Amino acid sequence: MSLDLTLIFRALIFPGFAFILLLTFFCDWAERKIEARMQNRMGPTYTGPAGILQPLADFIKLLTKEDIVPNNTKGMIFRFTPILAFSTFVFALFFLPIDGANVILGSNFEGDLIFILALVSVGNFFLFLSGWSSTNAYSAIGATRVLTQFLGYDIPLFMLALTPAFLAKDLSISTIAASQDVPFALFIPWAFVLFIITLQAELEKDPFDVPHAETEIVGGYETEYSGRRLAFLKLAKDVQIVLGAVLVAELFLGGPFGPVLFGLSAFSYTLWFTIKVLFVVMITEYLTCIFARLRIDQVLNVNWKMLMPLSILALAASVAVMLWLSLVG
Amino acid sequence: MANAENKIMEALDYQLEDKILEAQKVRPERIFIKVNPDVHKDALKILLQEDENAGISAITGVDLKDNIELMYHVRTRGTIVTVRTEVCKENATIESITDLIPGADFHERETADLFGVTFRGHPNPARLILPENWPGNLFPLRKDAEIENIHSKLENAAVSCENRSSDDGKLVNIIVGPQHPALIEPEKFSLRVDGEIVKEVIPRIGYVHRGVEKATEKRTYLQNIYLVERICGICNACHATCFCQTVESIMGTESPARAKYLRTIVLELNRIQSHMLLLGHAGLEIGFESLFQYLWRDRESAMDMMELLTGNRVIASFITIGGVRRDLKEGDIPKIKTGLTALKERLDFYKELLETDSTLKMRMRNVGILRKDDALKLCVVGPVARASGVEIDVRKDDPYAAYGEIPFKIVTRNEGDSWARLMVRLDEISESIGIMNFALENLPKGPYRVRVPRIVPAGEALGRAEAPRGELFYYVKSNGTAYPERVKVRTPTFSNILSFVKIAKGGNIADVPASFVSLDPCFSCTDR
Amino acid sequence: MSKKIKPSPILKEVLSQIFRKPATRKYPKVRPEIPEGFRGKQIFDIDLCISCGLCARDCPSKAIEMVDVEGKKKPSFHLDLCIFCFQCAESCPRNAIKASGVFELASNNKYDLVVKPQKKTQDRGEEA
Repeated sequence: MSLDLTLIFRALIFPGFAFILLLTFFCDWAERKIEARMQNRMGPTYTGPAGILQPLADFIKLLTKEDIVPNNTKGMIFRFTPILAFSTFVFALFFLPIDGANVILGSNFEGDLIFILALVSVGNFFLFLSGWSSTNAYSAIGATRVLTQFLGYDIPLFMLALTPAFLAKDLSISTIAASQDVPFALFIPWAFVLFIITLQAELEKDPFDVPHAETEIVGGYETEYSGRRLAFLKLAKDVQIVLGAVLVAELFLGGPFGPVLFGLSAFSYTLWFTIKVLFVVMITEYLTCIFARLRIDQVLNVNWKMLMPLSILALAASVAVMLWLSLVG
Repeated sequence: MANAENKIMEALDYQLEDKILEAQKVRPERIFIKVNPDVHKDALKILLQEDENAGISAITGVDLKDNIELMYHVRTRGTIVTVRTEVCKENATIESITDLIPGADFHERETADLFGVTFRGHPNPARLILPENWPGNLFPLRKDAEIENIHSKLENAAVSCENRSSDDGKLVNIIVGPQHPALIEPEKFSLRVDGEIVKEVIPRIGYVHRGVEKATEKRTYLQNIYLVERICGICNACHATCFCQTVESIMGTESPARAKYLRTIVLELNRIQSHMLLLGHAGLEIGFESLFQYLWRDRESAMDMMELLTGNRVIASFITIGGVRRDLKEGDIPKIKTGLTALKERLDFYKELLETDSTLKMRMRNVGILRKDDALKLCVVGPVARASGVEIDVRKDDPYAAYGEIPFKIVTRNEGDSWARLMVRLDEISESIGIMNFALENLPKGPYRVRVPRIVPAGEALGRAEAPRGELFYYVKSNGTAYPERVKVRTPTFSNILSFVKIAKGGNIADVPASFVSLDPCFSCTDR
Repeated sequence: MSKKIKPSPILKEVLSQIFRKPATRKYPKVRPEIPEGFRGKQIFDIDLCISCGLCARDCPSKAIEMVDVEGKKKPSFHLDLCIFCFQCAESCPRNAIKASGVFELASNNKYDLVVKPQKKTQDRGEEA
C-alpha cells in the first residue's frame, strides 16, 4: 500500500489541521479586534503587524506554564477532556467543504449534516465533563449550566439546520453548499436569523454567556485547569466558534462556492470561504457587544418559550418556500 | 434647626425627667445628653420615635482613663442627637439595642472588638473588624493597649462561623471572597445555597482594616488630613472635607465663602466620578462590557477636570483646615464648563439606555428589592435608602459647605430594586452637574483660606457630609495638644452592608453580583 | 400597555463606534498634556532655604530628612515615601519647594529616588 501523499497533505497542512489552526487564530484575532473597535478601544496591536500574532502568543504562553492537576479530580477524565473536546471539533471541521471539497476527498456522504451536528453535541458534552470532573463548587455549577443550556438549545439548532436541507433536497453538506447559486439566507431569512441566535447560545456568548460568567462563578468549568490543558480547553472553545461560523456559512451563505478569480478555483474558493466566515464572526460579535448576560432561568425561558415555537414555525415556513420554489421551477 | 432641637429636648425632658444627668450643646449646635448606662435604651427609644426617618448614625467609644464612654449618635429630624453613657473599664458591659433597632448590629460588634465592651443580648457577638487570631484581651483603641510585637501575641485561629446554624446537608456553602472576580476589594460573604437559591448570607469584614483611627492619634491635625483622605480613594474629598469641618468647629473658625464654594465644586466632581465608576462596574458585573467601556471612557473627562482643579486625578489633596489649598483661576472655568456640557449630553444616552435596554432590565429589575421599612430598620444611608423611598440627604437636612445656598433636588425612587439604585445615581450625576455650574457661575471673590493655629483647643465636635455612598460621620475630640485625642469615622458602606444580607436572601445566586454591585460597596471605607 | 417598545440605543451606538478613532491614549509614544499645578517631583531652591525644618515636621509620611550640607541642615526628599501632597511647599515660609511636572519616577535603583539638596551650579539643568 503506497502512502497517499495527497491525503496526508490535505489532512495535515491544507485545508486540514494546520489551516484550521491558523483559521482559528485568525478568527480569534478578528473577534478581539472587532469587539475592541466596537468598544472604542484598540484591541491587540503590538504583537506582529496589527496584533495578528496575539492569539498565537497567548496559546504559547499557556503552553509554557505549569500544569497542576489537583488531587481530588476524577483522574483520566480531567486529564483528557480538553484534548478530546479539541479533537472532536477539529474532526467535525474535516467534513465541511473548505476549498470546494472536503478535507479528505470523497468523504462526504448522505446525511453527514446530522453527523456533524451530533459531533457538535459530543464536543459540548466533553466541555461539560471537563467541569464536572474538577470537583470544585464553581466548576460544578459552570458544568451544569453548560449542560442545561446546550440541552435546551440543541433542539432548535437541529431543526433550523435542517431547513436548508429542505431547500436543497439533500442531507449532505457539500451538496447543500454547492446548490446555492443564490445564498439560502435570502430565501429563508427567518431561519438564518434564528439560527444565528441559537448559535449564540451554543457557543456560550452574550447574552447566553452564563456558563463562564466570571463575576459569579470565577472560571466556570475552566477554573481548575492550568498550563497545557487550559491552552487546549481555550483552543477547543475557539475552534467551536469557528465550527459554528463555518456551519452558518455552508448552510446559508453558500460555503466556499462563489465566482472564481483568475481561474484558480482552490484559491478563490478558500478566499470566499474565509470572507464568509469572517462575516458571520462579525455578526456574532456585534450581538455579543449589545447585550448583557441573562440569568440561567431567563436563558431557559427564552429557549422554551420563544425559540422552540419559532423554530418549528420557521421549519414549516421553509418547507412552504421549498414547495413554492419547486412549483416556480 | 433650633425648632427641631427644642422639640427634641422637650420630649426628652418630659419622658426622662431626672434621669438625664447632663445636657449640653456641642458645636456646631448639636445636643449631647448624658445618662446612666441602664437608661440609654429609653432615651434612644424616644429619639427614634421622633422622626420616621430616624436611625442610628454611629456608636463611638472613647477611652477616659478609668471609664469607657459610649456615645450613641442618633440621626433624627435633620440633626444628630447624642446619648452619652459611661461604663467602667474592668467590667465593661451594657445592654444591646439591637432588639430596638437592628441596624446597630455592626456598630456594637465593632465597639466590642476595639474597646472590649460586652453588649448583653446581642444576637451574634462574633469578631467583626479584627482577625480571628488577635489576642482576646488586647483592645487596640484603649490608650493602654500595647500593640508592638503583635506577632508574638497572636493566638491560634478559631475559625468558627462556618459550622453554625442548622445544616441539613442539602445546603452548599459558596464563599464569595475574599478574592473573587465580583468584588473589587476583599471581604468574605458565605452564601448558603440550595440549588440556585440563596438561603442565608454570613458577612465577615475586616480584611482591609488598617487601624486608621488609632493612627490618627499619633499624627498632627495637618498630617491627619492626608491620612483620612486615604481611607477611601474614590470619596477622598468627602473625608477631607468632613474632617476639616469638624476640626474647624472645635476651633470655632469658619472657612471663607470662596473656599466653601470651591469645596462644593470638588465634592460634586468627586460624586460624578464615583457614580460613573459604579455604573460602569455594574455593567461589568452583569456581563454588559460595552456599557463599562463607554462609561469609563466618558469618566475620563471628569478625571481631567479634577486634574485641572487640584493637580491630581484621584486623590485631590485640595482641602485643608481653614479653607482650600489653591485657587481656581478664571481662565480654567470655561474649560471645566465645556467638560461638564459634554458630560451632560452623554448622560442622555445612558439614561435612555438604562430605561429601554431589555437584557439590562431583565437582570436588574425586581432584583434585590429592599422595602422601605427594612431600609429604616437597618439604618441604611445614601442612594440605597433614597431608592427605597427614604428621603434623607445630608446636603439638605444639615447643609454644610455651600449647599445651603445652591438649589438642587433630592432624587428618590420607590421601587427599591437594583435598577432603582442605579437610576438614582444616574440622576444624581445630572444634579451634580447643575450644582457645579451654579457654583462656577456664582463663585464669590475673596480669600480662599484663613490661617489657623497648629494647636487646637480642647473640645469635641461632630461633622457630617454626604459622600457618594451616603452619610459620612466624623467625631473628633481634642485635648489641647497638637495631636487629637480620638477621631471616629463612620463610613456609609459600614451602615449599608447589613442590607445586603437582607436583599440576597431568597434570590438566585446569579442575582448576587447584580444586587451587590448596586449597593456600591467600598470596603476600604468599611474597614478603615 | 400602550407603551411603544423602543429599541435600545446601544444598537446604533455600538455600530457607530467602529468608525471612530479609538479612545486609547498612545502613551508612551505620545506624551500626555500636563496641566499647570500638577504635583510631580519636587524642585528645591537651596538658596531660599532657612533650615527651619517645618517641611520635615509637617510631612505626613516622614519622607523629608534634614541632612547636613556645608554646616547647615537642608531637606532631602525620599521619593519612595513621598505621597506628593506638597504640604512641605505650603509649610515652607520662603517658598523654597516647588512642584514640577515630572511624574515618570520609577527606577530600579533606590538611590535614584532621593532628591538631595544641591547647589544650583551643580544642577544639570531643567528637567523636562
